[in-house]
Amino acid sequence: MKTSVRLLGSAVLALLVATPGIAGETLDRVMSEGKLVMSSDPAYPPQSFLNDANEMDGFDIDVGKEVAKRLGVELEIVTPSWDIITAGRWNGRWDVSIGSMTPTAQRAQVLGFPAIYYYVPAAFAVHNDSAVSSIAELSGKTIGVCGGCTYDAYLQKNLVIDAEGVPAFDYQVTAGEIRTYDTDTSAYDDLRIGDGKRLDAVMSAMPTILEAQKNNYPMKIVGDPAFYEPLAVATDKGDEAFDAKIAEVVQAMHDDGTLTALSEKWFGVDYTSVK
Amino acid sequence: MMQMLALLEDRRIRLITASLASLLLFMALDIRGSMLGEMLRPAIGEPADSGLYGRFATGLVATFLLGVNLVVLDLLPRRLQLPVVWLELLALFLAFFLSFGLDFAFIQKKLWFLISQGAVTTIYVSLISIAIACVIAMVAAVAKLSSNPLFFGVSTFYISFFRGLPLLMQIYLIYLGLPQLGFVVDPIPAGIAALSICYGAYMAEIFRAGILGVPRGQSEAAAALGLKGPQIFTKVVMPQAMRLIVPPTGNQFIAMLKDSSLVSVVGVWELTFLAKTAGKSEFKHVEMLITASLIYWAMSICFELIQARIERHYTKSDLR
Repeated sequence: MKTSVRLLGSAVLALLVATPGIAGETLDRVMSEGKLVMSSDPAYPPQSFLNDANEMDGFDIDVGKEVAKRLGVELEIVTPSWDIITAGRWNGRWDVSIGSMTPTAQRAQVLGFPAIYYYVPAAFAVHNDSAVSSIAELSGKTIGVCGGCTYDAYLQKNLVIDAEGVPAFDYQVTAGEIRTYDTDTSAYDDLRIGDGKRLDAVMSAMPTILEAQKNNYPMKIVGDPAFYEPLAVATDKGDEAFDAKIAEVVQAMHDDGTLTALSEKWFGVDYTSVK
Repeated sequence: MMQMLALLEDRRIRLITASLASLLLFMALDIRGSMLGEMLRPAIGEPADSGLYGRFATGLVATFLLGVNLVVLDLLPRRLQLPVVWLELLALFLAFFLSFGLDFAFIQKKLWFLISQGAVTTIYVSLISIAIACVIAMVAAVAKLSSNPLFFGVSTFYISFFRGLPLLMQIYLIYLGLPQLGFVVDPIPAGIAALSICYGAYMAEIFRAGILGVPRGQSEAAAALGLKGPQIFTKVVMPQAMRLIVPPTGNQFIAMLKDSSLVSVVGVWELTFLAKTAGKSEFKHVEMLITASLIYWAMSICFELIQARIERHYTKSDLR
C-alpha cells in the first residue's frame, strides 16, 4: 500500500515539475540532426497546400525551405491541426511553425515569435449578388470567420497584436452574428451558396480571398483592408539561442530581397512590408 | 376511421391512395427544375414559369414512372430484383452527385494518391487498432467477469471512462497530455492508442456478453469430463462465444474504419485528411469529399464480405 502511495506521489510530482525545454536545446537538436522540422497548415492556399505532385507547396513552404537552407539543414514538414500548433508545448515534435501565424498577446504566452516575415491585409468580402458596397453597411449582418483566429478577435473587438510596427486600426463593424469555422475556406463555401443564405459576408486574409476568386468563387472584396496583420515565425518557448538564429536568418532574407521575391512569386504583390 | 381503414383493404383503393400521395409529394417537392421539367418543356412551356400546372404535370409523370418501375420490378424473377433495386438506387445517388457539376479530371488526378496514401493509412491504422482493441477487450471482459474486486474495479472504471469520453478528446488527451509526463508520442501511435483504448472499452462489453451467452451447462459438462479451468475457457467456452462476438465486432471494425478519420487532427495523412487537404488547393472540396466517401463505402463493403466469411466459419457447428 505504501509503495503505491509513494508511486502516485512521484507521478503527481513529475506532472508538476514537467518543464519546457532547456535553453539551446532546439538549436542543438536541429544542428546535430541536420534537420529542421516545420509545422504548417496544409489547407491554406496559396501559403501552404498540397500541390499536384501531392507535395506541400506555397509561400510558407518556400520560406521554410529557404530558412532551412540558410541554417544548412534539411527541411521536414509536419501537418498537425492548427489548435495543436497554437496550444504550444511542442515537446520537440517540431522546431518551428512557419504558418502565417499572427503574434497575438495570448499566443505569446505559450509561443515565441522571433521574426515577422510578412504582413497580410485583412479584408471583408461579400457574395457577388450582394448590394453591400462599404464596410459600414456590414454592421448587423452575419459574418463568417475562422474560429479563434485574428478575424474572429477583430469582430469581437478584442484583437491585440503583440508585435512592433503594427499599423493602428479601429473596429469598423459590429457584426449581427459571428459564425466561426474550422478554417477560412469553409466560410467561403457557405458564402458561395448565395448572398445571405447562410452568410452575408466573410472576413479573411486578402490573398486567400483573391485565390478563391481565381477559382471561381463568386466573391468580391468590400472597401479597404480593415487592418494589416503581421505574420511571424513561431517557436516553442525556452530556446533563446534558436530564436536569435531564426531572427537573424529572417532579417537577412528581408534585407537581400528574398522574401520580396517569394511574395511576388506567390501573391503577385510585395506583402513583406506595410504600405 | 375504421371505415376508412376498411376501405384501404381494397387493392384498387390502396393503389389510388398511394398514387395520389406520391403525386402530392412530388408536387410539394417541386421537381420542375429537374431533368423531367426540361423534358416536359413542349407541354408546360418554361418550367420555372409553369406554376401549379407545371408542378402537377411533372408530378404526374414522375408518379407514373415510379409506378411503371414498381410493376416491372414485381414481374422480374426474384434473383434479379435485388441487383435491380441496388442499381436503381445507385443511379439515383450518382444523379444527385452529378448535379453538383463535379470536375472529374480533378478527381482522376487525385484518386490514386487518395487510395495509395490515404486509404492505405486508414486501413493499417484500423487493422492494428482493432487487433489491440480485441486483446484489451478480452482482458477487460474476463476481468469484469472475475470475482476479484480489484480486477473488477479496474475494468469497470476503464470501460466506463473510455466509453464515456468522446474519441476526439481521447486523441487530444493522448497526443497533448502524454508529453507532459515525458512520453512524446508520434501522431500515428497516438491515434492507434486512442482508437484501441476507446474501442477496447466498447468491445469489452461485447466479449463479456458473448462469454455470458454460452450456457452454463457447457462449462459444467466440460468440468465433468475432467477439463481444467483454462482449457474449459479456451476449448469450450470461447469457440462458442465467438459466434456471438464476431457479428458485433465486425460492426465495430467498420465503425472504426470511419472513426479513424478523427486521427487527422494530429496530422496523420489518412483518407479524410487528404480529402480535406487535396481539395483546398484548388477549392474543390465537394469532389474530394464525395470521392473519399465512396472509397470508405467500398472499403466497408469489402470488410462486410470478410465478416460474413468469418461468421460462416464460427457457425459451422450449427449447419445441418
